[in-house]
Amino acid sequence: MDFLNPAFWTFVAVIAGIYAIMALGLYVQFSLAGLPNFGHVAFMATAAYVMAILVVRYHVPLALASLAAVGAAVAVGLLLAGPALRLRADYLAIATIAGGEIIRYLAMNLPELTGGPLGSMGLAGPGNIAMYNQDWMALLNRLTGALSGALGHAVSRDLTMALLVWILAGLLIFVFWRMERSPWGRVLKAIREDEVAAAAVGKNVFAFKLQALIFGAILGAIAGLLLAWQIGIFSPEDFQPTLTFYAYLILILGGLNRIWAIPVGAVLFSVLFSGTRLLNFFPLSLIDSGNRAFLRLFLVGFLLVLFMALRPQGLLGNRKELILEK
Amino acid sequence: MLAAPRGGAVLLEIHDLGKSFGGVAAVDGASFGVTEGSITALIGPNGAGKTTVFNLVSGFIRPDRGTVRFAGRDVAGARGDAVARAGLVRAFQAPRVLTRMSVLENMMLGAKDQPGERLGMSWIAPRRVAKREREVHARALELLHLIRLADLANDYAGTLSGGQRKLLELGRALMSEPRMILLDEPMAGIAPVLGQQLLQHIRDLRTRNMTVCVIEHDMDVVMSISDRVIVMDEGRVIAEGTPDEVQRDERVIEAYLGRLGTVGVGGPPRGDAA
Amino acid sequence: MIEQLLQLTVNGLIVGTILALTGVGASLVFGIQRVANFAHGEYLTFGAYAGLILNVYYRADLITATIVAMAATALLALVIHFLVLRPLRSRGLVAMSLITVGIGLMLRDVVFMVAGPQIRQYAIDQTRVYDLGLVRIAPGQAVAICVAAVVVPAVAYLLARTPIGKSMRAVSDNRDLAAISGIDVDHIGTYVWILAGALAGLGGVMFAMIQGTFDPNLGYQILFLILTSVVLGGIGNAYGALVAGVVLGMVMELSTWNGFAGGLDARMKPVLAFAALIALLLWRPQGLFGKARVL
Repeated sequence: MDFLNPAFWTFVAVIAGIYAIMALGLYVQFSLAGLPNFGHVAFMATAAYVMAILVVRYHVPLALASLAAVGAAVAVGLLLAGPALRLRADYLAIATIAGGEIIRYLAMNLPELTGGPLGSMGLAGPGNIAMYNQDWMALLNRLTGALSGALGHAVSRDLTMALLVWILAGLLIFVFWRMERSPWGRVLKAIREDEVAAAAVGKNVFAFKLQALIFGAILGAIAGLLLAWQIGIFSPEDFQPTLTFYAYLILILGGLNRIWAIPVGAVLFSVLFSGTRLLNFFPLSLIDSGNRAFLRLFLVGFLLVLFMALRPQGLLGNRKELILEK
Repeated sequence: MLAAPRGGAVLLEIHDLGKSFGGVAAVDGASFGVTEGSITALIGPNGAGKTTVFNLVSGFIRPDRGTVRFAGRDVAGARGDAVARAGLVRAFQAPRVLTRMSVLENMMLGAKDQPGERLGMSWIAPRRVAKREREVHARALELLHLIRLADLANDYAGTLSGGQRKLLELGRALMSEPRMILLDEPMAGIAPVLGQQLLQHIRDLRTRNMTVCVIEHDMDVVMSISDRVIVMDEGRVIAEGTPDEVQRDERVIEAYLGRLGTVGVGGPPRGDAA
Repeated sequence: MIEQLLQLTVNGLIVGTILALTGVGASLVFGIQRVANFAHGEYLTFGAYAGLILNVYYRADLITATIVAMAATALLALVIHFLVLRPLRSRGLVAMSLITVGIGLMLRDVVFMVAGPQIRQYAIDQTRVYDLGLVRIAPGQAVAICVAAVVVPAVAYLLARTPIGKSMRAVSDNRDLAAISGIDVDHIGTYVWILAGALAGLGGVMFAMIQGTFDPNLGYQILFLILTSVVLGGIGNAYGALVAGVVLGMVMELSTWNGFAGGLDARMKPVLAFAALIALLLWRPQGLFGKARVL
């Protein structure tokens, strides 16, 4: 793809917006409540699978299936992380990453339920290629048509999707920004700082943490659904723990304690990530495209370490408000 | 045995409280009562179990046995935040202020009945939330003026000195208008000037009809502010009474001096060693 | 039925022993730096590939390849320790976890880039099988048994009898207590990393051998088994890890026995380890042998 191809960048914009919502879900759990959930990807996977299974196998209408999918993600959150809310930070990290991997392994090894390694395509049984996307695509087409009409010239479906996703992301970030600044947010901040002190002034620490977790699950589910609809197919390989760490990197890039830095981090990340596909000049042209995928992952790891070491407050964060020193 | 309180209702009553850690009994059948509106000191040599009693009473550790009654309610084993909501608030030996929040935010956190803390209330009843926020804000500033930290209201609590943090912790506790406050060694490690201020504030608490229980090692402090003194040793209550009574109690003297003896300072020679 | 049981027992013992050896190193390290090293699996991958280069490209025999792999991995562990982990150790639990994740990603993808994603194997004839009557052993497993027979007693001796081994155990069991007793914690920490690196390299080679084929995902797949062994044995408890590794290996293999109501599907074995890890962290974080710590 050419560097200046607008279709490519529109696609990147869609992914960036979805990643922003995913990162917001992590922000609520980690930056607001201090819960280092390393298994955030499990919410996305659960929502995507439940929606696809309901649509393909049971012919449930899309809206209902989506609602059920979000509910399923919340249930997973309650199941896997609810009891773990009393664990020490790094134990919680281990437990959540293990939990996420259980979900992925189950998805991989129960083909009758989840299509197995084939993923969503295998949901309709062998020999059939299952698609769950039709209703969403129809909706998107109608919106695109309306938008094109309103603007007077043709608009691509991806552009409509990008607008949709970013409007949603903006709205959600606004909502949680307001909540962060409310007394509710103040309690969460206190819990993140010193939960014993928060309890000593009568705050129900467990309840607040649970609320943050559930919001994280809902946001993760939304991101998972949007991703599934945008790409059209998915498999267990798309929900590896690496995705959770993309979200961490996005938060770190922008600034772990700045909610409005999330879009910055998401865009930066997506540009870096997708842009490396286009770097066809020397010396990167020496690395073939297969290896460039590994180079990208290498960069993710490298940036994680680099920022943690040299600039943990991120690009836009405030050093004084660092939340990682625990 | 429990001596009869001087007058006024017993607000906090513990009976046969016990807690062991790894086989060692930190608290071994402690019983006492604290009268409402009084300042009671809890004293005793190191390791007597005083802080553990505070932890057990305030719900931060679960007792192995025994009862805790606060304001007529059984609170033994209740969680820390529940006990705080019931009106029994504690401060810690090393003050736990929220270092990366401002002094004002620390104070505002302490207030009770904040509808804005409930999920969604800022969206459902924004005016009610804003009104309460203004009240809490004003009250916080008022208290900050009282404890003379108002100038630092917008600074990060992490920049405060040890003594200032203790004052802040006290202020934060007062925000919830508790019925009883537990203070764990409030005088320890703070400058004399701040210490005097703190002492005065503790005395003033009586005028608000607040009950105070203080763990303290400084005998002068204990003598000067307490109505009653409870003495603990090895996890049990060994004496209680007015400061004068306790000072003259033989068991108390022995408990403190006994400690000195075993350390080897002026102890008797061991003639039977081989 | 019985035959399958015996075969699974043998398999379980072999896997378990390798897990035990790797777990000892991981447990000591976890005990010292107090944060889980999510990159530990990649040390195994590194070891496996280092051994591969020696064995397949330089045509070295397996023993030489293993020793070089162990040395190379120990060196890698040291470099990462001095360059990254030690300077940053004051950053806090979550920051360190994220850093080790980053290191793991970097290591794994360097191996992918340099060695490629294709499946590899050591210069062992994979089609041969030693038939010992009731059980069968693959050549890779036979090598692993021989290696284990030498290394396990050596490690046990090191930990039990030598001063440095005792210091290592003291530091990883209770760092503060060890420091007060006069042990130079930083110094011992270096030795622990050397040992952990060497054992990880050994583990990588051995897993590669008993699996027959492997790719750069080797270490990542085993990471959680290692973490589970460490927690099961009690974090920082070297002897505990030895036992726990064997127990875990056995439980995982035996769980697929037909006698257990048909047995667990072999593909689900890792799920067992994940679930055990979560259960342990929730209800018995001190594992089988650790002491419950008052937090």
